[in-house]
Amino acid sequence: MRSTNWRIWFGLMPALTIMIFVGVVPLSIVFHHSFYDIFTLESKFWVGGEWYVEILTSLRFYESLGRSFAFSLITMWIQFPLGILIALAIPKIGPLKSVTLVLLALPLVVPWNMIPAIWLSLINPDNGIIGRVAELLGLPFDYKFTALHTWILIVVLDTWHWVGLVAILSFAGLSGIAPGFYQAAAIDQASRWQVFRYIELPKIAGVLTMALLLRFMDSFMIYTEAFGINAGGPKNATAFLSLDLGEQIAGFDYGPAAARSIIYFAIILCVVFVFVRVNKRQRNAETEFWQ
Amino acid sequence: MKPLTIFKLVGFCALAVFILLPFVQVVQLSFTATLEHTGVARGSISLVNYKNIFHSSALSASLINSVVYVLLNVALTLAVALPAAYTFSRSEFRSRDLIFFVLIAFRVTPPVVLSLPVFLLFAKVNLINSPIGIALVHCIFNVPIAIWILESFISAVPREFDETALIDGHSTPNFVLRYLTPIIAPGIGVAAFFCFVFSWVEVVFARILTVTGGKPISTAINGLFGFNTDIGLVMAMTTLSLLPGLAMIYFVRNHVARGFVIRA
Repeated sequence: MRSTNWRIWFGLMPALTIMIFVGVVPLSIVFHHSFYDIFTLESKFWVGGEWYVEILTSLRFYESLGRSFAFSLITMWIQFPLGILIALAIPKIGPLKSVTLVLLALPLVVPWNMIPAIWLSLINPDNGIIGRVAELLGLPFDYKFTALHTWILIVVLDTWHWVGLVAILSFAGLSGIAPGFYQAAAIDQASRWQVFRYIELPKIAGVLTMALLLRFMDSFMIYTEAFGINAGGPKNATAFLSLDLGEQIAGFDYGPAAARSIIYFAIILCVVFVFVRVNKRQRNAETEFWQ
Repeated sequence: MKPLTIFKLVGFCALAVFILLPFVQVVQLSFTATLEHTGVARGSISLVNYKNIFHSSALSASLINSVVYVLLNVALTLAVALPAAYTFSRSEFRSRDLIFFVLIAFRVTPPVVLSLPVFLLFAKVNLINSPIGIALVHCIFNVPIAIWILESFISAVPREFDETALIDGHSTPNFVLRYLTPIIAPGIGVAAFFCFVFSWVEVVFARILTVTGGKPISTAINGLFGFNTDIGLVMAMTTLSLLPGLAMIYFVRNHVARGFVIRA
């Protein structure tokens, strides 16, 4: 059914209007500002690409980029295997299914700025549950001044926050598999691993790529939670990309902040482009497979 | 019991402890007087934190502010996402891939990248300190998600269903509202759930867009931190901030895992 053009635009127009107003217009403003040195919005001076050169030639930018990449990779390597494992273990029917899904969704509804506050009070040696146990066992945990400990805390916190989303999405994909596939596998005496590799994984691949993109971008650009723990410290050991940008905005450094925003947006576009290509190839492969 | 069942049971318990421990901490502190209050000794169990919330008009107002802009956002998002999702599901058009790409790109753009220009833009059109402003800006990540979820639910409905209704003389909007929405009600519930959650937990936009008034719950909580923070009060506010989300989870518990089956 090839619909007429006006019908398509009528359907898309409301959504696109809003996206242009809150997305495209602000982005154009940032782009414009990124070429100026801005004292106030009334007095600004054209500096061309100076901010871009400054950011892209600074060591700090590449250090933060590396840290953000490392953080994304670590959290994804933990959350995806763990989330898929949880999804595989959830019973397909029965009360335990609902209970587990509710449990997994819980951390998703906590306001983001409260997550660091909660975890900091949890490890507080005076009244925190983990903090008091650690003190009793004589385990020193010094998230303020030991970089490794800050990293562990942020990774655990991020896993607590997001592993549920990975598990819920994987479970959603798994529950779409018709029982016939499992019966056929049983007849062929397929091992548990073979069932996962050749039946379950291909079926959840589509949902997993979407989850991968969401989790990659959110961890790559982590801001509120990481800032709340140690404000990028100790000694910038947890200064991720977004924290640098947040610092510039808070310091009213508008020109450089705008250039930095554009650079980050360019990185995002590249990642999304790769993702869309992979997703499309996957979808084509899947249709070929089922035909 | 088979060893596998025991293994699963242990795993389930470990997961439950990992996820629930922070919540136990929050609730426990929220019922503890962490500072000296008149008539309540420090460290004793009491309701003083909750009483203080309802005595502070700023704190209780922030709860209402948050609920208002989140509900506005959910309504607005669903209203614009439904026709878009229907179009995506039922029509072939050339700019489809491009629009899909742009929607995803904005979905994953972190708020901190756009916070400043959104503030400047909204200041020009008088949307600062207003729940409408926050509801609008949260559309940037909620509209793409809602379109994605609704599209997968609509695509599960056979096209013959549309064609029968359209042959019967219903216009497309009429058909979508009267016949399609009841069928995809679980999908609308799931989309509403995710929009609600993502809008409720967002902090950066909500904070920068409320300079003098209309402050959301997250900003109100942040304002409680200071030299001598009443952490009990903070945790009582946090506990209250979890309740709407809990209610939402309860409503969609049977549908939440169905929204993503068809395709990503």
